[in-house]
Amino acid sequence: MGVVRAEDEVKIRGWFAELDRPVELLVALGPEEAPPAGAGDMDFGAETLRLAEGLAALGESVTCRVEEEPPGFPRFPSISIRPDGRDAGVRYDGLPWGYEMGSLVGGVVEAGRSESSLRPESITALEELDRDLTLDVFVTPT
Amino acid sequence: MLLAFRCALASERVSAAAIEANEFPQLSQEMGVYAVPRIVVDGEPRWDGAVPEAEFIRRITAGAETNGP
Repeated sequence: MGVVRAEDEVKIRGWFAELDRPVELLVALGPEEAPPAGAGDMDFGAETLRLAEGLAALGESVTCRVEEEPPGFPRFPSISIRPDGRDAGVRYDGLPWGYEMGSLVGGVVEAGRSESSLRPESITALEELDRDLTLDVFVTPT
Repeated sequence: MLLAFRCALASERVSAAAIEANEFPQLSQEMGVYAVPRIVVDGEPRWDGAVPEAEFIRRITAGAETNGP
């Protein structure tokens, strides 16, 4: 079974075919928090890996690999989105199901661009940063 | 969420993580997540909800007005 709907798969294949550079999805597995209520016996790590592998299958420039408890990952499971295989500090912590699959796909598409899709003035503002910034965005699948 | 990813991909100074709130209930509770998206900057809850790109950049770079706790 595919990881996205058939009509979405066509779109995603098209986007992935246009990537300027390769993108690696590094799936980090390790000890997980207690499963959320109602999650039953779902294996979040296995499902995250299945999803990442399924996405990677939709484009020749997108690859997937898995590591157990790699350094630099505060939570598991997690997917690091890596342009040219480089750690750019972009992660999705947890299983990106439902609506949030779009965030992961969007992250891959952006990572595959040779130029940012941000507006020039936004890039200028980021270039003027004199300190590191850590952004955490809490999301839910619906 | 994508804006945060775009910022991280555009700047080596910025890192960005999407965190699935239901899967990490303890951290979500610590960050007071009752609405999503909740944006946390350098470990400090800042605001809830999507904002336009210019406003997003202004908030994360200047640390100015927020509607967070």
